[in-house]
Amino acid sequence: MSRILRTTALGVSACCFLAVAVKPDAISARAKKLHFSSIVVDTHDDTTQRFLDGKFDLGARHTDGSIDIPRMREGGLHAIFFSIWIPSKITGQEAVNRALAQIAAVREQVRAHPQDLVLATTAAEVRAAHKQGRIAALMGVEGGHMINSDLDVLRHFASLGVRYMTLTHSGNDEWADSSTDTPAHHGLTDFGKQVVREMNRLGIIVDISHVSDKTFNDALEVSNAPMMASHSSCRVLCDAPRNLTDQMMKDLAAKGGVIQINYHVGFLSQEFRNAEKANPEINKAIGQEVQKRCGGDEACQLLEGDRLTREYVERGELPRVDWKKIVEHVDHAVKVAGINHVGLGSDFDGANMPYGMEDASKLPKITDALLTKGYSEDDVKKILGENTLRVMAEVERVSRERSKQPQK
Amino acid sequence: MRRILVTLCVSACLTAGFFLSRTVSADEIAARAKKLHFSSIVLDTHDDTTQRFFSKDFDLGKRNPDGHVDIPRMREGGMNAIFFSIWIDGRIMGPPAVEKALDQIDAVHQNVLKYSKDLVFCRTAEAVRRAHAQGKIAALIGVEGGHMIGNDIRMLRVFGDLGARYMTLTHFYNDEWADSSTDKPAHNGLTDFGKDVVREMNRQGIMVDISHVSDKTFFDALEVSKAPLIASHSSCRALCNHPRDMSDDMIKALAAKGGVIQINYERSFIDQAYKEAYDRVAGGVVAATEKITQECSGDEDCVSRKLKDLETQMDASGALPRVSWETIIEHIDHVVKLVGPDYVGLGSDFDGATMPDGMEDCSKLPKITEALMRKGYKDEDIRKILGGNLLRVMEQNEKVSRELQAQ
Repeated sequence: MSRILRTTALGVSACCFLAVAVKPDAISARAKKLHFSSIVVDTHDDTTQRFLDGKFDLGARHTDGSIDIPRMREGGLHAIFFSIWIPSKITGQEAVNRALAQIAAVREQVRAHPQDLVLATTAAEVRAAHKQGRIAALMGVEGGHMINSDLDVLRHFASLGVRYMTLTHSGNDEWADSSTDTPAHHGLTDFGKQVVREMNRLGIIVDISHVSDKTFNDALEVSNAPMMASHSSCRVLCDAPRNLTDQMMKDLAAKGGVIQINYHVGFLSQEFRNAEKANPEINKAIGQEVQKRCGGDEACQLLEGDRLTREYVERGELPRVDWKKIVEHVDHAVKVAGINHVGLGSDFDGANMPYGMEDASKLPKITDALLTKGYSEDDVKKILGENTLRVMAEVERVSRERSKQPQK
Repeated sequence: MRRILVTLCVSACLTAGFFLSRTVSADEIAARAKKLHFSSIVLDTHDDTTQRFFSKDFDLGKRNPDGHVDIPRMREGGMNAIFFSIWIDGRIMGPPAVEKALDQIDAVHQNVLKYSKDLVFCRTAEAVRRAHAQGKIAALIGVEGGHMIGNDIRMLRVFGDLGARYMTLTHFYNDEWADSSTDKPAHNGLTDFGKDVVREMNRQGIMVDISHVSDKTFFDALEVSKAPLIASHSSCRALCNHPRDMSDDMIKALAAKGGVIQINYERSFIDQAYKEAYDRVAGGVVAATEKITQECSGDEDCVSRKLKDLETQMDASGALPRVSWETIIEHIDHVVKLVGPDYVGLGSDFDGATMPDGMEDCSKLPKITEALMRKGYKDEDIRKILGGNLLRVMEQNEKVSRELQAQ
């Protein structure tokens, strides 16, 4: 598998050499300096799935996947939200326990690498970690189905360090509609609204990636703290329902929130999405092959899905998407929502990465591209992490205020 | 009646003895004991007060007319470190057990937050010492029964992350991987998985608690554990022949590995005559609890209320002999005579057991210090018994955890 990736990388080199006569990974000295002195935050990484076999060593450089400590170091990724995720169809107490097991797995990785990682639950802790030269590990729960309709469970997650929760995953949960399911609740149910309020009180960021437009609007109305789209891109550039419309981005920004751009090719590129829609057989075939190779192993499914997609691209059956698409989405979101409301939510280890952004080591390219586009250094810092940290601090402030009020 | 006579005789004899040998007056001892007690870390490793957090009638911050523990009485009794017990019926297993245990851990944290002027949550011996220096009560968590991890070692880590600092390997019933002292043996002690649980507890710095477990489970755990063990609330079988108590051999083996036995004040565990009478009347405390638990269909507050009613009723009927608080001292003294003063401490079982006369609640704790002083115990040994020994074991466990995690 490493062979395939390396061959691919050579291909990229050759192509870009001819096209722009610059080595693709050549980063300007200014960009390097800026990137490695900024706090670079990624709000969505599915690497947690890889921890579950008990053998994966985050401290070693891997030839597959996108995240490990050496590549985070190389790419200057200083704060990472490890995603706690199980499929939407798993519900009830099993969902709770599997989520807890993943939280335990993340915390084990932090314990196993005390020189490199430190668990962070506040913006201040992320900054402190950065000062110490350690990577801040944070956690987000990707899907409200994992609380089993129980606010106590939400509180347990908060106690264990979870700092955002995506209200749904791909399927509706018991109290919120997803963007990729048939509406069942007309947005948020009354209990769903209670969940959002309790998240405000506990200081868990409300994440509206994955949710239906109506759920988004309901959450925006109910939430007393700014919200985050932890890994979503711009719908006007690629019409996936998972992406945010310009209006949604404006509304999110008006309440102080932030959209963290997702690097998944199917969310970045209209061309790719059209090709997927035109040949539904391809995704079906990929799905079947993934099932064959991985069975129920979710970590394997995610990585194999990415690998197989690339094989289709290599054969010319799916369009090739370049990493610069990420910068287009960032730039569009900045134009629509403003410079204070955009960040990075890669979806590494959980999606199909564009060419040139195979793993976390490639992140400095984003800084370089934004500087080349004429962004000021301060603005680039905001996109790299400062916007997310501001939202975190604001959510913490609201939580402190609301915890003082008596509980109902 | 009988209690008063006994007390009078004991104090008279003791006073006379001290007067003659050291010419120290009774009042002087009382004053010295008071001073010693209120300057020491007084640590209780087992309190079932957590169950009361779920009752609307209970307020930890106020003096309650019933029960054994609340902040005013802790202050009055100089109890400044407490392990709140996380406990659910041993027959609840799997994911529901995990969730219920988490609810209780959460309830402890919520109460600590609510009373943050008095309480501070502690995870280390050092934190307990710091709390004491600040005049605060250290709140800690112990999980009473391995069934609560739902047969999943990762949940043990979750409990550890949420601050649990010991776990009793079983409660009254065997769990999936360890035999209890009050159930029919099913695993011949610890299963292989049970041994893994013990090893992981060492790694996480969660003390292995062998109260409640069968003798075979105890010896298995002792062999596997790299850190000293605790018996969070057990007494001496030589003085009261109850399977929940520890034999002299067990106490010696525990001490040889640096562990500590924390004396339980439950009448049935400290007084042989009482235990025998109780067995005759109610078929034993375990059976009575089981019956009541079934009647209350899992409502813990109902269980403790009914147990209390049963106790009152049996007391009134005169069917049970009186048990004096001084029996607690006999158990402490037995351990000290057996293995020395470094391996014994206090694990009251307040709010989870029937207390002997004179130890009605935690406000009475200074009596223990005074009684030990009258027995001629050295101040430094009394401090060890009050809390120092347990803190030493905690530090040892922390050290082993650091070493294992560095590997």
